[in-house]
Amino acid sequence: MPLGLYVSRCGGKVDDVIDVDAAIAGVAARAAVVRVFDDLFDPAAQERVRRDVVDAELDGVVLAGHSIERYTKSLSGRHLIEGIVAAGINPNRVVAANILEQVALVHADDPVGATAKAKAVIEDACRRVELSDEAEGIVCEPRRSVLILGVTTEAVVAAQRLLQLGFSVVLADRGEGLSHALQPSSLKATSAYVAGHPNAEFVDGARISDGSGWVGDFDIVLNSDAGSAHYRVGGILLARPDVTQWIEELRGHFKVDIDENGHARSIDPDTHPSETIDPGIMVVPVRGSGDRTREKVAAADSAAMALVLQLSQPTTVHYMDVSEVDETLCGGCASCVRTCAFGACSIGEDGFSHVDVRRCRACGKCVVSCPVGARDIISAPHDYLIETIRGLADSEVEGEKVLGFLCAGCGYPAADGASAYVEESGESYPASFLPLRIPCGGRLDTLYVLEAFKAGFDGVTVFRCREGHCHNLIGNLDMDRRMNLLRTVLRSRHLDDARLRIVDISPFEGERFVEQINAVYATLGSLTNGKGGPQ
Amino acid sequence: MSKPRLAHVVLGGCEGCYVSLLDAGAALLPLLEAVDLVASPLVAEDDLTDCDVCLVEGAVTTERDIEKLLQARKASRTLVAVGSCAVLGGIGGLRNLSTRAEVLDTALGVGERPTGVPELTARVQPISDFVTVDMSVPGCAPETETLLEALTAALEGRDWALPRRNMCDECGRTKVKLLEHSSEFVSDSVYAIMELDEIDPELCFLEQGVICMGPMTREGCGARCTVAGVPCRGCQGPSRPEFEQGGKMVDALAAVLPAGAIMFMDDLVGTGYRFSMPISIFPTIYDHGGDDDE
Repeated sequence: MPLGLYVSRCGGKVDDVIDVDAAIAGVAARAAVVRVFDDLFDPAAQERVRRDVVDAELDGVVLAGHSIERYTKSLSGRHLIEGIVAAGINPNRVVAANILEQVALVHADDPVGATAKAKAVIEDACRRVELSDEAEGIVCEPRRSVLILGVTTEAVVAAQRLLQLGFSVVLADRGEGLSHALQPSSLKATSAYVAGHPNAEFVDGARISDGSGWVGDFDIVLNSDAGSAHYRVGGILLARPDVTQWIEELRGHFKVDIDENGHARSIDPDTHPSETIDPGIMVVPVRGSGDRTREKVAAADSAAMALVLQLSQPTTVHYMDVSEVDETLCGGCASCVRTCAFGACSIGEDGFSHVDVRRCRACGKCVVSCPVGARDIISAPHDYLIETIRGLADSEVEGEKVLGFLCAGCGYPAADGASAYVEESGESYPASFLPLRIPCGGRLDTLYVLEAFKAGFDGVTVFRCREGHCHNLIGNLDMDRRMNLLRTVLRSRHLDDARLRIVDISPFEGERFVEQINAVYATLGSLTNGKGGPQ
Repeated sequence: MSKPRLAHVVLGGCEGCYVSLLDAGAALLPLLEAVDLVASPLVAEDDLTDCDVCLVEGAVTTERDIEKLLQARKASRTLVAVGSCAVLGGIGGLRNLSTRAEVLDTALGVGERPTGVPELTARVQPISDFVTVDMSVPGCAPETETLLEALTAALEGRDWALPRRNMCDECGRTKVKLLEHSSEFVSDSVYAIMELDEIDPELCFLEQGVICMGPMTREGCGARCTVAGVPCRGCQGPSRPEFEQGGKMVDALAAVLPAGAIMFMDDLVGTGYRFSMPISIFPTIYDHGGDDDE
């Protein structure tokens, strides 16, 4: 596969620590294009990448430098990826090799280890590109309608903007929304505009009873005193991210990140206060009661603008991340039906498992539960995970190796955040801790742990979401059950099951990430390794 | 035209596969007419120098098995692994959870060692660890009809393979709770089959709280056990060797049956790996290496 490898020096932060030539030596030989940029966010660098994609007919691109979080959780990052996709690369074949936040910034005191680790991380990303199928996109014309949850001042202001731009809105409130909406006298004209608009609908006493779909094309069922009603909307605006009932109901169907209070949170409160990890769901930041009206109006404007940007596109594309079931393998055992928290799996009349892609959140639990491997996750396929576990185990990093399975929702951002803690405290962790990102703790198969120990890892650590915080509701708990049962299997092989450690973490706990890895290393020496009993 | 030469070699096993073949009864007569039987438990003197088809049953458990197996491979055009021992390592593979010294001490008495018998290998292995296998017929024992089908195909030089779906595909038991979207387990606990007051003859065993290896097991036997009223024990092995039964049992059932109760089952490892320990990713105790006697 023609592969392009692009290394960002990140303004020198990468090559201050890492010997870039050595780190890319292995991959450079098989890549069709290799370039090193000062900064990948430089427009000229991006233009260069897009031209290469066309000229060299690339099928996959590895961006070595920043964390994937930098691309998915910022508009400029998303724009960079979109540009590469527009040039002709399937989005499932644009992969970040995180050699900045998880290597250079945390192993500045160990340039040799950091270089070896960077090499392993880049090779991992290349494997991910090479062993991934293309994701299939479902294109839709976004619906110019928005469901607003919670009727607040901000909700009414945002509704007014949207109505004026030709959108229709549904304003749902758990109580009597319309009466609240008409409250602030300074906004009476706005309220009246919304309340009297033919394209505005108010639903009082509302509860979300069902939801499916994605940005541009959501299906929502609201129950209220008036009965149950079905709405098809392009986007959702959460005007009360502090009302935990709304959040819980939404989280039963969609990915919504929550903070320690159970409130919905945006991808970045400073730079992207409205956007959440679901591009179709926006939030109005929670304001203190002392906030002045103009701040509320600004917040509403920002949220409305974010929605308009999404829904004014001629088309939106949702990429499916779950494969069809292999009917030569599926016997209809229904393990997948029972493990799916979203009701996306079912056994059809034909006796085979089917996925309702509008409900699938691509957590990978059904893939793990499938005893015959009849289904796969396209962004984290089985063959890639097995190969990369072996590859990471073979990397040249010195010292006892620990494989870290990092849940994309918590462990991975925490690992990125650890770079700030390391810089501040000077305390780091060994470079022989090798990270492997998985979409959810629930994607962790017992076979991956067995493979890791077989391949030579001295320890396996899983960083998963704290209870109640999993994007996929119970991916973390299902993983716990599987891993705790696996402990019996590990012990039967005379392998001390304390070598498998599960850590709960929130995405902000960089310090805990460092502490926990060091705690793992502190115990390794005292555990049975099968090579002659306890050392 | 000379008749095809057929050999049947037995390594470490119970000869149950051979009995399954003999169960064909009268159907064996035309087969025996059509071949030259050059080696078999029923032939006084084996001639394992040249044959068209060689059936190998049993796992590699002794040094002598390795010699016999290599010789069989060298002599034969088509080598067929017959039965779960040959294909998966089989039930004897559970000895891989102990050192060779422990096995011998338990079997013969501490420090006692046999004389004049082949030396035990450090661990039990399927024959595919040593030689290329052209055709595999798992099962403990394989169904007679299946064996005959495979043997006929091998003699005629045709490909033959078992279907790959899991056992649920051919098990006629009904599922009710398993088909519902729910976060509850399908049973309040896990039971051994003799603990049930009443066994529902129609309902999926998992829904009755009984561990059934069906989901983790390749179909092809006609779901003989579940039809007879006992849960599948997994003797046909996994559909794909890389998806080992013990690990996948944990993955598949952790959201179906109460994991806490599974954990306190009498023999979680023995249940999951009863017939296929030797093809596990971790087929033996860690870093066994065969040096345990020292």
